[in-house]
Amino acid sequence: MGPTINIVKGTIFTVIYVCFTIIIPVVTFSLLREYVVEGLPLDFTQEDLNNIIFWVTALGLVISGCAFFTHSSPKQSIRRGTFALIQVLVNCLYLWSYKFSGATEIIFDLDMGDTSGFLSLNLQQMVLVYLGIYFLTIILKLYDVIDFTINREKIRNDRMKE
Amino acid sequence: MGFLEVLADIFGAILIFLKPIIVPIGEWMVDWITASIEFLKQNFSSELTIYIVIFIILIVSGVIINIIWPGDRPGTIFSKGLDKIEEKFEEKLAIPDEIRRCKDCGNPIGDSRVCPLCGAEND
Repeated sequence: MGPTINIVKGTIFTVIYVCFTIIIPVVTFSLLREYVVEGLPLDFTQEDLNNIIFWVTALGLVISGCAFFTHSSPKQSIRRGTFALIQVLVNCLYLWSYKFSGATEIIFDLDMGDTSGFLSLNLQQMVLVYLGIYFLTIILKLYDVIDFTINREKIRNDRMKE
Repeated sequence: MGFLEVLADIFGAILIFLKPIIVPIGEWMVDWITASIEFLKQNFSSELTIYIVIFIILIVSGVIINIIWPGDRPGTIFSKGLDKIEEKFEEKLAIPDEIRRCKDCGNPIGDSRVCPLCGAEND
């Protein structure tokens, strides 16, 4: 594949990552912020929302940049392996940013006349499970980088033949 | 329901068995992530500019590197230019393989017509 196809591939993946790591979360949290402003009894402060939107955007940008680099690189290349590893590491930070911002535990206070209560949405366990999966991914990516480095010449020759 | 309970018991048993491995891994993951996040919070939590710059740098460098080393062939635009320069440089440095020698005695004579050793004429 030539450079143009590589760049197009990278661009497509960047757009996907921008959508999933920045646009969708930011829109969701912006809607939540509006509800807080409108006085809906969410146990979530303006500062919490601003904080989470900042970190989602910041780390989402880094993830999307890494995604471009990873997916525009040739298959089994060292640069692809390295940036895939960096992307996984930043992904861990991204997931954790949800946790430390308090976004994984949202409590809705419900008060409807005679009855009152609360609805708790706790996603902390899910984040922890994801981190476990990411640990395995880190190991796999590390193995890839080592493999691509050791078999560099063979991989390159095979790619040139194709 | 009975099947689900058995399944839950199996998973529970596996997790208990793997607990000595899983817990240190989880602690290690939490430690490095917390340390990194704390570092970012303390140093880079005021402006998005730095993250935008990183994003742009990654995209631009990705494009440039792909143009130079697309991966499926030795390279395009820039690397081709580099190859040409290298070829010219090698040509300049090239030592001639064949040295002109005297046809009678075999002495190297260079550009001269008469051999300095035996005096034979070489055309």
